[in-house]
Amino acid sequence: MKLRILLADDHEIVRRGLCSLLQKREGWEVCGEASDGREAVEMAKQLKPDVVIVDIGMPYLNGLDTTRQLLQHDPNFKVIVLTITDSDQVIREALDAGARGFVLKSDAARDLVAAVEALQSKRMFFTPRVNDLVLAGFLEKGHAISRTEPPDLPTLTAREREVTQLLAEGKSSKEVAVLLNLSTKTVETHRSNIMRKLSLHSIRDLVVYAIKNNIIQIQMPPQLRTVSETTVV
Amino acid sequence: MTVRILLVDDHPIVRQGLRTLLEGRPGWQVVGEASDGIEALDKVDVLEPDVVVLDVTMPRMNGLEACRLIQQKGKTSLEVLFVTQHDSPQMMREALDAGARGYVVKSNAARDLLEAVEAVSQHRVFTALARSPHASLLRSDS
Repeated sequence: MKLRILLADDHEIVRRGLCSLLQKREGWEVCGEASDGREAVEMAKQLKPDVVIVDIGMPYLNGLDTTRQLLQHDPNFKVIVLTITDSDQVIREALDAGARGFVLKSDAARDLVAAVEALQSKRMFFTPRVNDLVLAGFLEKGHAISRTEPPDLPTLTAREREVTQLLAEGKSSKEVAVLLNLSTKTVETHRSNIMRKLSLHSIRDLVVYAIKNNIIQIQMPPQLRTVSETTVV
Repeated sequence: MTVRILLVDDHPIVRQGLRTLLEGRPGWQVVGEASDGIEALDKVDVLEPDVVVLDVTMPRMNGLEACRLIQQKGKTSLEVLFVTQHDSPQMMREALDAGARGYVVKSNAARDLLEAVEAVSQHRVFTALARSPHASLLRSDS
């Protein structure tokens, strides 16, 4: 019987690359492709794949919340998270969300097949850089991963995180209502609760919160990246 | 028409996706790949591509700097096409100022790339942003 894999990434070009990589393996089949987290959750419910590969930085519903929703629906889903960053916080959140694999996008060509094989054998897979980081955390701080900056996420419900992401992506309350099949009034209530819980006062504050907590991700243009790298050094 | 293409992106999986798309077109050939701007400069000299498909954000040397240096080589038959995550008119302007002939956003690459490569390989300008597909899609002849 074929191993069925569902891919979720907002870039079709990345999905093409992943498909090409995975389908070279005999007995593996990409049974579906989703371009955002919401679509991934729906497709996974229908297709019941053996493995789901989710990008973290997806529109509408990010990969971490996608993982949470998938496992809430069925704890037997095996999820591999693909990410462009290996920050402590993202690793911790991916583990907390229940991902059983963690692969850096830059290393996907090398590691993804091994990750799928590991999950197929009921093991976990973490990209070598993550293993190094976890080990360094043990050696330096006496525990696996630094918790010096705990995320604010647990204070929000799953629905509130979804609304936060959509608002931070620039959607109006009305647009959020349509996307989530809620009334505008319900969305406004969620919005008020989010702002109150997090002590935020504007949409700008909400966007900053969403970026800081990996609910949305931004790509720095080269000039800004150079400045930030110089600052860090 | 034969088109020799060099792919430059720091993510192998993206290069693989671009390759499968481009090699589906008869006569087009991906002659090489590079993972940063410095490697791209070397391969431009060795492989003599017609089109360099270039990412903006890469380690060691970003795509804008690589594009400027490629232009300084004076290879008149060679054109640069950016394929980038940056869905920004400012970044597009910088890319064109650096000498690129095309600019495509990664999220729409599967839709726009073939048309873009075809245009730039004929020394025409092709630019397409994604943020407002109806208002910002710009295609023009130079």
